[in-house]
Amino acid sequence: MQKIGIFLGCNIPFNRPDIEYSMRFLLKELGVEIVELEGATCCPAYGTMPSLGLLEWAVASAWNLSIAEEKGVDMLTGCGSCYGVQNEANYYLKKHPEIKEQVDKILAKVGRKYDGTVKVWNVINFIYEKIGLDTLKQKIKYNLNGLKCAVQTGCHNLWPSKAFPSGEDNTFFPKRLREICEIMGGVAPHYSTITDCCGMGALRSNAPEKSLALFKKKLDVIKEELDPDLAVIGCSSCLLQFDAGQALLIEQKKLNYKIPALHLAQLTAIALGAEVEKATAMASIPLNGVITKIKGGN
Amino acid sequence: MEEGGVNVIDLTQGDESFVKELIALGADELRECIQCGKCGATCPMALAGLEFFIKRIVHAANLGLRDILLEDSSVWGCQSCNRCVEICPMDIKPYEVIQAVRRAAVKVEACPANTYEGLRNLYRFGHAVFPKGFEERRKKVGLPEKPPTALSFDEFRKKYQELLRQTILEEIAPFPLD
Repeated sequence: MQKIGIFLGCNIPFNRPDIEYSMRFLLKELGVEIVELEGATCCPAYGTMPSLGLLEWAVASAWNLSIAEEKGVDMLTGCGSCYGVQNEANYYLKKHPEIKEQVDKILAKVGRKYDGTVKVWNVINFIYEKIGLDTLKQKIKYNLNGLKCAVQTGCHNLWPSKAFPSGEDNTFFPKRLREICEIMGGVAPHYSTITDCCGMGALRSNAPEKSLALFKKKLDVIKEELDPDLAVIGCSSCLLQFDAGQALLIEQKKLNYKIPALHLAQLTAIALGAEVEKATAMASIPLNGVITKIKGGN
Repeated sequence: MEEGGVNVIDLTQGDESFVKELIALGADELRECIQCGKCGATCPMALAGLEFFIKRIVHAANLGLRDILLEDSSVWGCQSCNRCVEICPMDIKPYEVIQAVRRAAVKVEACPANTYEGLRNLYRFGHAVFPKGFEERRKKVGLPEKPPTALSFDEFRKKYQELLRQTILEEIAPFPLD
């Protein structure tokens, strides 16, 4: 039986535990044993330890990586930042032996060690490579019934590609998330701003109006080019922007349409038969039409 | 920049020691930049309208314009998306220049207050993002009130704090590390 360490991060367990529920559900249904990473922390987010120093970044990520290594598992995360930060830390540890030496010393002081064996996966690449599209197709209980999906892979799931264990053939023309939606019975066309940033993250924290304006530009293109039933998101931070951020734009009367949004883990869990109330518990934009279509309605 | 004025870079303000500081803080390929502007063409900060997006930051960094870089908060709005790293033909890793500027800024407390909030949460709880009300949200989906992270294990959290105290956080944190 395949095993994976579930790396939760911050936004998923605290803001969107419906994604955590969904990740746990889909792993169980796909026959993957979940290994808890007890004592894991924040990845750490780009604006924290990485902004203090390269050693600070590497050692704080190495803490988490060492917990997975001790348990003999790779990590799975639903958050783009957790994916990017920890993969980059892994990359730096290999590339800079002088940093690795310092990291080893600090880890030893707190009774830990890290040999660099852990790979960090996101939900897209894990489903695509470790589960496989054919297996996913066989296991789903509900077909997406032609649901039109606008996909958002998320910046941190794409770049810097050289630091990642797997990924797209062309990161500026991502296809994996589209293929996953389509194998489950959806339709997921390319659109012109498919790789554009959603504006969540440091921009949202430090320049919220510019962040939401950037997001609206992307939404307007999605609406005009695809007019989708659903946005399918590969990163929990992007989902916060696509869902709560979109609700904020509507509240501010800056948006006069709605595009429901789900993290890929949520959509896959629902297709595998998860309890919809739990899998979508924190959603701000109503999903009734989407769920009706998946469950066999119009 | 004065209101209604033109934003001209004053080359006499350049400080070579600041360039060296940035190189030491991780911008190790900074000098290789050929000013092609590809980073700026892919930068979300530029698309969002921040005055100092990546190309201008790399330019100012190469000129050693310490005051401009430390006074302007644009580097803290960088999404860390790494498009610039992916696309840079000279492989100077422009994002590392942003991080180097942030690292220099933190040393002189020239960073937004929310930077400290994230660091304080990370130190206290093991999580930089730590919003209120999470227990109720977790219960709603049938999960335990606390996730099985350092938050649930004092022993791990104390060890993690000990690890953080071995870093520069010990010197720059404007909050008690006890």
